[in-house]
Amino acid sequence: MVSQHGILLAVSIISDHFGPLVSKVCGCLLRHGALPLQEIVRRLELSPGQVKNSLLVLIQHNCVQAFNSPRGSGDKTATHYLANFDNILHRQRFSKFLSVIRADIPESEALLEGLLQNGRLTFDQLVERTISKVPEGSITPSREEIRMNFNKLVFAHYVERCPKPEPFFDPLVDEQSTSTRKRAKTVEIALSIDKKVVNTASLSDAERFSEIPYIMEDASNANDSTHSSIAGTKRKHNALEVDAELNSTIAENEVLWRANFEKFIFCLKKKFCADRKKPKLKVGTHPIWEAFFEASLIERDNNSVTSPINGILERVGQKEGGTLMTLDHITRVLEELNCNPSSEDPDSFILDLSRIVEASQNEEIESLVKKKYGHAAFTIFRLLVRDGCPMETDKIIDTTILDKQIVYGTLYKLLKDDYIETERILSGTGTGNLQFFVWRVKNTFREQFIDNLYHAALNLRQMVNYIADLLLEGSKDDTKLRNRKNILILALTRHDDSLMLFNGF
Amino acid sequence: MPPRKRPPPPVKASDTPPETKPKLAPPSRPTAAAASPSPASSPGPRPPPVPILPDSILNAFPPPEREIYKLVFSGGDRGMTQTEIRTRTRMQPNTLSRHLRSLTSATKGVLKVVNSVHKRAEKMYMDARIDPSPEITGGTWYRDGQLDSDAVAAARRRCRDQIDRLGGVATADAIFAGIGRDCPSTAYSIEQIRDILRTMALDMELEEVRSTGVGEFSDLRAGRVCYRRGGAPQGGMMEGIPCGVCPRVDECSPDGVISPKTCVYYKKWLQMDF
Repeated sequence: MVSQHGILLAVSIISDHFGPLVSKVCGCLLRHGALPLQEIVRRLELSPGQVKNSLLVLIQHNCVQAFNSPRGSGDKTATHYLANFDNILHRQRFSKFLSVIRADIPESEALLEGLLQNGRLTFDQLVERTISKVPEGSITPSREEIRMNFNKLVFAHYVERCPKPEPFFDPLVDEQSTSTRKRAKTVEIALSIDKKVVNTASLSDAERFSEIPYIMEDASNANDSTHSSIAGTKRKHNALEVDAELNSTIAENEVLWRANFEKFIFCLKKKFCADRKKPKLKVGTHPIWEAFFEASLIERDNNSVTSPINGILERVGQKEGGTLMTLDHITRVLEELNCNPSSEDPDSFILDLSRIVEASQNEEIESLVKKKYGHAAFTIFRLLVRDGCPMETDKIIDTTILDKQIVYGTLYKLLKDDYIETERILSGTGTGNLQFFVWRVKNTFREQFIDNLYHAALNLRQMVNYIADLLLEGSKDDTKLRNRKNILILALTRHDDSLMLFNGF
Repeated sequence: MPPRKRPPPPVKASDTPPETKPKLAPPSRPTAAAASPSPASSPGPRPPPVPILPDSILNAFPPPEREIYKLVFSGGDRGMTQTEIRTRTRMQPNTLSRHLRSLTSATKGVLKVVNSVHKRAEKMYMDARIDPSPEITGGTWYRDGQLDSDAVAAARRRCRDQIDRLGGVATADAIFAGIGRDCPSTAYSIEQIRDILRTMALDMELEEVRSTGVGEFSDLRAGRVCYRRGGAPQGGMMEGIPCGVCPRVDECSPDGVISPKTCVYYKKWLQMDF
């Protein structure tokens, strides 16, 4: 379940992008979970038309997933709507996603922009949009060129076919997704209902990233009269049975495409981990570290990076001082950097990013504790987190070698702000009852920290909107206000990295 | 229940350094600090190293004072608080205070008051001839019941310097041997050095790692715990905005009395007049 300020943040984003009515519907779904249309109407006291239109907008922009669920006994089903919190938050990262494409496939940036702005489009609609955006006097790209650039996005998994619009899901039955996506197979903890619905709606990887087929012009001309009846006709997708031309037509006219947020988040995760570790690298290891990331191939999952040794060597050789490095040296450095030979392919090295992510999360929390409560709090907090079990006051004093009064004061401050909890232990001895206190880290401190992150993001957004309103009203301090707004937007962009980090990317 | 502080190895009287003092073996009486579920399993107090005052002296004291002295003497080098004495003797507080004043006075002086690092609110009494145990005084890092910050800082500095001298990464044993060699006037025990190193690792001033036997660890056996200088502190994304360190964040809400629009920290951060 999303925390209180997480919901407020999501509602704020939807309100800014689509208006208060849509945000009301979104907020209702986030607070109460998946609901059918009638239930939303009842709770919000809006007309069915208003709710329906709001849901259509949210579905169009991938913020809500519909699914069919059994209703009562018998064969009756009802359509439920589930808000996708992660996708809502991704809306404030579109500029980061575009910068990823700009660096990788710059010629396809405009296509991605179209998908991000419109949520989901057919290829035909994308072509229409691209052509309409061409400035006067510029060369209009051909359909073939647009298809080629679009397929580059599909091949790199930046773009995917939209999931099933209304799959069947019974919450009472522990349904396993039929998708071949490895993430569903390797999840060891119980998935929430939300994740199960998303998995159920997902297409297989082969289908999800199936490119738009390229058809020869000559072959299509000969059968024009036959295929003119296809427009507006619905057919089931079956790549094996329909000929290539029909397949291509369907892929261009009927299939809805959207940005694959998972891929973009993974790209940002890689960049974050690569940059995060750089300050800790010893002199001479930076080229190898950078080359490892540059040489990575299509990823097997969202938690690791795999690179072939040949690709690493090639890129190391292109860097300053790289030609002098031997294979043994590079291999040893990679292992020191926790890049280990892959068990599936001994000529590749694999790096588990989750360790870097977890360490970064701990560093962020510890750093904030240090800033807010002082160095003693930092030491004590790290001790309690590391040990993970209740620790008696005197033991804390002995281990940290801090003054007792400082320890007491610090423990109280951390206790008051819910970072730690305490328990009184009574011990009967010959001289009478003695009591002492044991302390441990509260198991909800991470959730609380994440909620504070959401709260901070919400406040930054509110300030940006406030200054935007002041600018609209007109002020003699326009330049100052614009500068303040830019500071806030930059802070929000940086703060968003924290949000991604603590959502595990 | 074993004592919380491990006793240092015995040292010759001539080698006693100014920073430490010879410690008496603490009695194995269960202490308030122990979270032992079975106090009955704890060994009783060990016999104090000095004999009890002879009857020829004790008989000169009034019977209540004699009883108080014997009771306090039985506490050995861990002493006894006034509360404990009163509980056992069932004396009135005023009466007890009067007797204790007499026993600690300059004329009799058979008992003394000691500052306990753990029970600062209460006075602790023990035989005037006995040195208080490290558990009362706090051990090496405590002087007169107060943390000796200078001693701790000096020990940390020496550990840091040794790690630099030993090539940037070293085991606790090597650091201990190096300090003993370079600073013979100090007489840290290996356990004290380990305690300091663990604290420095908690502070992230040092990093505790396991040797791999290769690279920078080529001089060390694989698997051994080593210490090296910690890297630059990372983190701090949340601290760059006012909300991150705000003490009133729990009271803040979009339209509340405390909100971003009314926030004095935002005003200061953005240098804005609302």
